[in-house]
Amino acid sequence: MLRIINFLEAIIERLGIVARYSLLALVLLVASNVLLRYFFSISPVPLQELEWHLISPIALLGISYALKHRADVRVDVFYDRFSAKGRCLVDLLGAVMTIAIGAAIAWLGLAYTEQSWQLMEGSPDPGGLPYRYLLKAFIPLGFAALAIQGVADCLRALMGLMAPTKPSEGHEVRS
Amino acid sequence: APAIVRADTKKTYHWKMTNAYGPGSPFYVEGPGSPTDFCRKVEEMSGGRMKIQHFAAGELIPALEGFNAVASGVVEMNAGNAYFWAGKIPAAQYFTTVPFGMNTQGMNAWLYHGGGLELWHELYAPKGLIAFPMGNTGVQMTGWFRKPINTVEDFKGLKMRIPGLAGKVYAELGVAVRLLPGGEIFPALERGVIDAAEFVGPYQDRRLGLQKAAKYYYTTGWHEPTNVTELMINKSAWESLPEDLQAIVKAAAAACNVESQAWCESVNAEALTDLVENEGVIAQPLPDDVVARLKEVTEKTLTDMAAADPDTARVHESFMAFREQHKAWAAISEKTFLAL
Amino acid sequence: MSPNEWIALGMIGGFLVLMLIGIPVAISLAVAGFVAGLAGFGPLLFSLMPSRLYGVVTNYTLLAIPLFVFMGVMLEKSRVAEDMLETIGRAMGGVNGGMGIAIILVGVLMGASTGIVGATVVTVGMLTLPTLLRRGYHPGVASATICASGTLGQIIPPSLVLILLSEILGESVGTLFAAAFIPGLAIAIIYIVYLLVLGWWKPELVPAIPKAEREAAGGMKELLRDLARSVIPPLMLVFAVLGSILGGVAAPTEAASMGALGSLLIALLARRLDITMLKACLHSTLTITAMVYFILLCAQPFSLAFRGLGGENMVHDLFNLLPGGELGALIFLMVVLFVLGFFLEWIEISYIALPMFLPIFIGYGTDMVWLGVLVAMNLQMSFLTPPFGWALFFLKGVAPPEVTTRHLYLGVLPFVGLQAMAVVLLFCFPGLATWLPEAIGW
Ligand code: NA
Ligand code: NA
Repeated sequence: MLRIINFLEAIIERLGIVARYSLLALVLLVASNVLLRYFFSISPVPLQELEWHLISPIALLGISYALKHRADVRVDVFYDRFSAKGRCLVDLLGAVMTIAIGAAIAWLGLAYTEQSWQLMEGSPDPGGLPYRYLLKAFIPLGFAALAIQGVADCLRALMGLMAPTKPSEGHEVRS
Repeated sequence: APAIVRADTKKTYHWKMTNAYGPGSPFYVEGPGSPTDFCRKVEEMSGGRMKIQHFAAGELIPALEGFNAVASGVVEMNAGNAYFWAGKIPAAQYFTTVPFGMNTQGMNAWLYHGGGLELWHELYAPKGLIAFPMGNTGVQMTGWFRKPINTVEDFKGLKMRIPGLAGKVYAELGVAVRLLPGGEIFPALERGVIDAAEFVGPYQDRRLGLQKAAKYYYTTGWHEPTNVTELMINKSAWESLPEDLQAIVKAAAAACNVESQAWCESVNAEALTDLVENEGVIAQPLPDDVVARLKEVTEKTLTDMAAADPDTARVHESFMAFREQHKAWAAISEKTFLAL
Repeated sequence: MSPNEWIALGMIGGFLVLMLIGIPVAISLAVAGFVAGLAGFGPLLFSLMPSRLYGVVTNYTLLAIPLFVFMGVMLEKSRVAEDMLETIGRAMGGVNGGMGIAIILVGVLMGASTGIVGATVVTVGMLTLPTLLRRGYHPGVASATICASGTLGQIIPPSLVLILLSEILGESVGTLFAAAFIPGLAIAIIYIVYLLVLGWWKPELVPAIPKAEREAAGGMKELLRDLARSVIPPLMLVFAVLGSILGGVAAPTEAASMGALGSLLIALLARRLDITMLKACLHSTLTITAMVYFILLCAQPFSLAFRGLGGENMVHDLFNLLPGGELGALIFLMVVLFVLGFFLEWIEISYIALPMFLPIFIGYGTDMVWLGVLVAMNLQMSFLTPPFGWALFFLKGVAPPEVTTRHLYLGVLPFVGLQAMAVVLLFCFPGLATWLPEAIGW
C-alpha cells in the first residue's frame, strides 16, 4: 500500500515542479514588465497576457501539492479531541470527498477545455497569446491531480484505521 | 402546423440571460434600452409568457464566459459585445465596430439591410448560436491624455490603456499598450503609470472620474465610430420558441437598439458640457495628419486580418463594399447637414 | 420558503458540520455546494463551474497573492525578518502590546499597496506570528491582531471592495478611495488604542520584552544598529511597493512584484541566496499561495449553488420586513450585510444585497459615497466574523500548530466589536467619509 502511495505522490511532486518554476517565472516576468515599461516604454501584449496565464499552473497544479504537504486549512475545534481512530475516520471521509470533488471537476473541466479546443480559441486581443485551450487544460489536469492525491490520502487513512491501536500514533501516519 | 403553435402558446418560458458587464453599469446593464430593460420589455410584450432572469457579470459566471455558457445551453442568452469573442471567431470584431468603419447609422444599415446580420448568423450557426443587435453607445471617444498629442511622434513611448484592434494600431506607431481592468484605470492614470486611457464616452468616463486624472480629452473615436451591444442566443433554444415569441424578442432587441443609443446621445451631450465647463477638460479632435497616419495603419491591419482567415475575408468584403456606398450618401446627407 | 430555499439553508448547515468535524475547509465548501446544487437544481447548473474556476485563475488582481507571499517567504528564509519584530519590541521599551501595534502599522502600509486580504494576512502572519508567540503573546490575541491588520487593506485604498462598490453605486473610484482614507486610518487607530488598553489592563496577554533582556541586548547605540540592520530592509521593501504606486512606476497589482524583486536583491546582498534556499522559498510560496487558491476555487460550487437555488430570494423575503424611514433602512442593510457575512464571501454579498437595497436609498437621497464606505467597512468585518471569516482561514493556513481554530474564533471577537464600533462612529459622523473627497476635489 505504501508503494502505491509513494508512486501517486511522486506524480503530484512532479507537477509541483512545473508550478514552482511557473512561480519563479511569474515573479521575474511581472517585475521585468514593470521595469521595461518604465525605463524603455516597451510593453508587449503577449508578455502582459503571460502574467496571468502563469496563475493557472501555479494555482491549479498547486492545490494537490498543497494538500500533499498538508498546507490545507482545517477547523480543529472538535478534530483535536477525537481519538486517533476517530481522526483517521474523518481523514478517510475527507479523502473520499476529495476524490469525488477532484473527479467531478476534472470531468466538467474536460468538456470545457474541449469546447475551447474545437474553437481553436486564442486571445481576443490582436497580438495576444494563442492556444487558450492549453491554459484551460490546467483545470481538468489540476483537479485530476487533486483526485490522485485524494486516493493517496485515502489509502493512508485506511492504513491508519487498520493499524493496531496505539494511542499516541495514528495521526502521525499522515505527516 | 398551427396546432403545435397553439400548444406552445400556453407554455411559459423561463430563460436566463448573463451579461459581460457588472451590476449597476448604466447602458450595459441598467437604464433605457439596456439588457435589463430588454428582459422587462419581453415579459411585458409577451404578457408574461416569456420571463428572462438577468445576471450581471460575476453573479452567475465571470464577465467574458457568456459565450461558453450560451453555446452549451445552460444559459439561453448573453448580453455583451461580439468583439469579445474575437479569440474564438476572428470575424466577430466586425459585428461590434470597425476602426474608421461606419457610424451607427451606417452600421445599422449594413446589419439590418446590407447583409451584415445574415453573415453574423451564418458565422454563429456552426457554434450553435444566433445573435441580434440590442444596443449601441454611438460613437465613442479617443480617450484621455495627460499630455497633448500634436504629431505622430508624440505617440512614441506613450503608455496607453487600450484593448483590442486599436491597441495593435497604436502599437505600430510606438505606443506602449497596457492592458488593465476597468477598476485600475483611474489609479494608474492618476499616478502616471499610464499616460492615456480609452474607456467609453463622456457620461461613462465621467463616472470613472477620468477627468480628475487627465485633462486632454480627444474626441471622436476613430477606433470605435459605433459600438453594437450583442444579444447572443442559444440556437436550439431559439428554435424551440414559438414564432410570436421569436418576433417579440426581435422587436424588443430592435427597440433597445434605438432607445439605448438615444439615451447615450442625450446623457453624453450633458456630460461633455459639464466636463468642459466645470472640470476644465480640453475636448478636441486629434490633429488631421495624426488621424491620417492612424487610418493608413488601420487599413493595413484590417487587410492583414482578412487575409489570415477566409471567414473574416468574406465579412470584411461585405462591410467595406457597403461602407464605400454609404460614404457617398453620408457625405451629402449627414456630413453636409452637420456642417451647416 | 420554497423547497430550494430550504436546500440552500441545508447547504449552509451541511458546510458548517463538515467543516467543524475537521474536513478541510475547501473540501467542505465544495461538497456542500455540489450536493445541494445537485439536489435542488440538477447537474446542468454545474456545467457553469469551469467558467467560474477559469475566472478565478485568470483574475489579474489576484496576482498580488503569489507576489506578496514570495516577498514574505524570501524575507523569512533570508532571516532578514527574523529579528525585525524583536528589535521593534525592544524599541517600544516597556510598552505592553508594542509588537502588536507594529503589526497594525505594517497592515496599514501593506493595505496601502494592495486590496487582497489573503495576500496581507498570510504574508504578515508567516513573518510575525512565530515571534509573537515566542515572546509570550496569547495565541488568540496575536493571530486576531494579524487578521484584523490584514483586513485593513480592504478599506485603505487601493481596495477591491471599493472598486466593486464604485461600479454598483455609480460613484467614481477616486471619490470612494478618498472617502475611505480617513475611516481606514481611524480603524487602525482604534485597533492601536485597544492594544494599548489591553497591554495596560492584561499585560500577560501582550507582554513587552522584559526589562532585563532589553538591557542585556545593549543600549541605545546597539538598538539603533539593530534597527538599521533588521527593520529598515523589510520596511524599504514595503516603501518600494508603495513608492512604485505613488511614483507612477507600477499599477497597484503589479507593484507587489517590486517587493518580490527587492526581497531577492536583499537575500542576494545578505549572501543568503543559493539554489537550496531558492527551492525552499518556491516550495513555501507555492504551498501558501495554493492554500489560498484552494479555498477560492472550492468556494465556487458553493456560491454557484447558492445562486442556482435562489438563495438571494431568502434575502428578498427578509427585505419585506424592511422598516420605514432612511435610518431604519440603513440599519437594516447593515444587519443584513453582517449576517450574510457569517457564511458568504464579500463579492457574493455585494452582488446579492446591494442591487436590492440601492433603489430605496436613491429614493431617500442618501449620500452614496458615505453609504459606500459604510458598506465597505461592513464587508471588511465579514472577513473576521467566525465561523466563516476568510481572514481566519488564511491565517490558519500559515499558523504554527499550537494556534487552534478556537484561539482564532475567540481572539477575533473583540476586533469584530471594535469594527462594529467604527461602523457606528461613521454612521454618526458622515463627515469622516465625505470631507476628504470634497476637500481635494475628487
Ligand atoms: Na488597500
Ligand atoms: Na465572514
